[in-house]
Amino acid sequence: MAQQPTPAQTPPPIPTVKMKAKAGFHGQPVEMDINPAVGDLKPWDLDTQFDVMKGRYPRLEGPLKVTGRAKYTYDIKLPGMLWGRMVGSAMPHAEIVKIDTSKAEALPGVKAVWTTESRTVRFAGQDVAAVAATTPEIAEDAARLIEITYNEKPFITDLEKAMEAGAPPVYSLEQVPGNPAIPRNGNILGPQTGRGLKRGDVAAGLAEAEVSIEGTYRVSVHTHSPLETHGVIAQWDGDELTIYASTQGVFTVKEGVSEALKIPRTKVRVICEHMGGGFGSKLAPSATGSQFAVVACILAQKAQAPVKLMLDRRQEHLCTGNAPSALITVNIGAKKDGTFTAIHHRSYGSAGIAPGAGTAAPLGNLYQNTANILGEDHSVFTNAGPAAPLRAPGHPQGAFALESAVDELAEKLHMDPLELRKKNDPSPVRQMQYDIGAKAIGWDRRNKKAGGYAPGAEGGSGGSGVAPPRSGKVRGIGMANGEWNVIARGSGVGCEVRIHRDGSVECFSGAQDIGSGFRTAMAGVAAEELGLQPKDITMHVGDTRWPEGPGSGGSNTTNSVAPVVRLAAHDAKQKLFAAAAPALGARPEDLEARGGKIFAAAKPGKSLTFKQAAAKISGEQVVATAERKKQYELFRQEIAGTQFCEVEVDVETGEVKIIKMVSVNDCGIPVNSLLTESQVIGSMIQGASWALFENRILDRNYGTMVNPNLESYKILMPTDMFEAVSILTPVANLGNNTSTAGIGEPPSVPPLAAIANAVFNATGARVRSLPISPDRMLAALAEARRRA
Amino acid sequence: MAESDKPASRFSRRSFIKSAGAGAAVAGVSAEAQEKKPETLGPDASTITLKVNGVARQVSVEPRVTLLRALRNELEITGAKEVCDRGGCGACTVLMDGRTVNACMLMAWDAVGHEITTVESFGTPEKLSPIQAAFLECDGYQCGFCTPGMIVSCTALLKANPKPTLDETKAALAGNLCRCGTYGRIFESVDKAAKTMASAKPAARPAKKGE
Repeated sequence: MAQQPTPAQTPPPIPTVKMKAKAGFHGQPVEMDINPAVGDLKPWDLDTQFDVMKGRYPRLEGPLKVTGRAKYTYDIKLPGMLWGRMVGSAMPHAEIVKIDTSKAEALPGVKAVWTTESRTVRFAGQDVAAVAATTPEIAEDAARLIEITYNEKPFITDLEKAMEAGAPPVYSLEQVPGNPAIPRNGNILGPQTGRGLKRGDVAAGLAEAEVSIEGTYRVSVHTHSPLETHGVIAQWDGDELTIYASTQGVFTVKEGVSEALKIPRTKVRVICEHMGGGFGSKLAPSATGSQFAVVACILAQKAQAPVKLMLDRRQEHLCTGNAPSALITVNIGAKKDGTFTAIHHRSYGSAGIAPGAGTAAPLGNLYQNTANILGEDHSVFTNAGPAAPLRAPGHPQGAFALESAVDELAEKLHMDPLELRKKNDPSPVRQMQYDIGAKAIGWDRRNKKAGGYAPGAEGGSGGSGVAPPRSGKVRGIGMANGEWNVIARGSGVGCEVRIHRDGSVECFSGAQDIGSGFRTAMAGVAAEELGLQPKDITMHVGDTRWPEGPGSGGSNTTNSVAPVVRLAAHDAKQKLFAAAAPALGARPEDLEARGGKIFAAAKPGKSLTFKQAAAKISGEQVVATAERKKQYELFRQEIAGTQFCEVEVDVETGEVKIIKMVSVNDCGIPVNSLLTESQVIGSMIQGASWALFENRILDRNYGTMVNPNLESYKILMPTDMFEAVSILTPVANLGNNTSTAGIGEPPSVPPLAAIANAVFNATGARVRSLPISPDRMLAALAEARRRA
Repeated sequence: MAESDKPASRFSRRSFIKSAGAGAAVAGVSAEAQEKKPETLGPDASTITLKVNGVARQVSVEPRVTLLRALRNELEITGAKEVCDRGGCGACTVLMDGRTVNACMLMAWDAVGHEITTVESFGTPEKLSPIQAAFLECDGYQCGFCTPGMIVSCTALLKANPKPTLDETKAALAGNLCRCGTYGRIFESVDKAAKTMASAKPAARPAKKGE
């Protein structure tokens, strides 16, 4: 999420210049007026001819990653380093009576112990104590020796039970977190209607409908499960603190730790060179459900030695965040021709002990022509670890309900669901994407009536529309839409570019590469501007010593940082031109940098190589820094996307197998299509994993997670893999001088519904609860047969 | 690096079981192990020799220390990762006598006398192996945390089966999890590397100048 500072008063207006640029996509260009800040650049637009960014180039850190030499936080070992270990509450709801650490402290090898000051625990796994010892095994022993006496309290872990009157309260009324203006009733916080989620009169709109449907949908809790768990290494040198962190925000860690320890920002440095996945869970200074980073710093201070504190897999599931559950009812009303008259989205979900389980946001972005809409979100507290943003927080759940309901409405209207969407969708980008995706999946093979075709058959013949078959495998095709907003930091982002006398180039951005390919993308932007290749740029990222960058969340990193990388590279280039101009007999303002050469456009025959030009620098280097001043005017605020899916269902075992998925996405102007496609493909795979497998199960009797591992909390495996196709539809959005957009979120939104809709098309059985496990599939098939 | 001919002490399952107090597991002890007069080893650390990537290395570890932790924490060979710590994800995959094993499921003492090969031995950043080069070209990774385990499994696959079908590749990688969602591009990488290696085979003939 963008962390925009909220100034106490309106800052003075930023001086701007007026210019025109060509926005949109090829075939439908739009000339737009934009107002960049003075000193910033005209955005790359539909007319721009790219040298580097039209290509596909490998990750700069690739050679280190494939040879096992990339050093992640988890791989760092410092001299004299101790091993830290957190101890979490065994109880889901209790008052802590006593924490006895004497046995742990007496264990040889134990160097420091920490205990919490908080007396209340509200979920199993909440921080209680921690130790640091000379080996990880001794730290594990010591953790087991800490004796905690609890005064147990009633608890509730199930969403729907927590909503009942008389359910054990997670918070007393005065302790309930969240905005006090939101209504509260027992464990329920809400209804809450977000911006853009109320339009017209939804009751009147439903009343004027000729056809309407109501559907109720459920989504289980998913955990982020990054392969590298959360963790840090804290190292003190006098009063200076260095933290190696597996984080999506080095500056967030710096801010959080310096505030918690009450030490100046100047004394704290945070480094994250390589990061083993986060997906939103690593945006907090420590984690949403733990203070482990601060604890590690305290242990290191006590022990006078560096402390490495990585959570284990179980802790990772319990206290580092999750995607909230959802129980959503959607009503859609429509005219007989399919025009929507109203959409009502009512959502309950649990983010554990935290608020923020809303899912209605997709309603505000999709189908904006619908006259009457209302989104009502409720957060229900349960005694479980707090949620954290997970790839488009709330949107996959919300889109699952909304896009399943649209599919159900199409069925009732006897309309093709693709045609129904085209009719109600105001997005010109998605209107362009629909046919591309339909062609790629072979939409014409789809069963005209639900009920599948056999594997190997061409399809298209259409199902029977009657009862699902009792044996064999059937296939079907479905689709769903997704959306996200362009989120970018308009300020608080910087970059420095240095061109050295030997022609080498360094680029510094403090923001971290979380596996998205950020460092490679930024090298691509700098190389495009400097007329070099990405590998010619030495990138320095993931360090609070470098210019500030945002936390990597909300698909904001690329489009926040790329514009300052380009601007700094551009400004450094002007200094290089000034140094090289006399040798070329040209004025600096007439020079260009392209293909590794510096030349005047009028005299391309006379040129210097980049290296020869750099040798003219009078000192050792030229340096340029840039800061973001403002976001430009956007072509469209939404990032549009649509997905198509073909599945095969074994109607005897209930097993669902995905055959193929196609994702068509707006991605701004892609910096590197190879890596952008990878992120889209990854989103489809993660979405498929949520749809078919993932389910955090809490024991109703003990309140603890019964599958806190990676074999019974199953994520999609290589053997479950399907054909995943990413089709990028570049859009010059003009939101910044590079017209880039992020892609981590948008393709994560539609997979759940696309898969469920394909399952319906294959079988005629609607599964409204995720994951679509074999038992749910069989129950839905039985229900469909009963109805037939 | 000191080459030691014999480990300073030898681990026997019996002494380990005794020290660990896991009497119920005694049924699994072989007759051979029972005949030998056991030294009493553990629970404290003892020095053992591990042969890793062709080099004999001494480490001092407790009997409960896994091969993975010995590699990472003692020898600072950190390519293999601990992700699930129970053999469920393959991020710790290494070769033992040429076969893939989960290093988190093996005690370091059980690896004594075996050849351990880790991802670090397959190529260098300057000179990548065919599968490593294919990962770069096909973008067979994102965060890269599963990558060392994937590279080991892919390397073992291609050695055993130079021309795997897609289903064979899936089966060979079934024990390796990726969270970023890179499987498809890993399959492409295997295919690419198999083709590279097949076309490189005729180069067993004397290399032409400039090759």
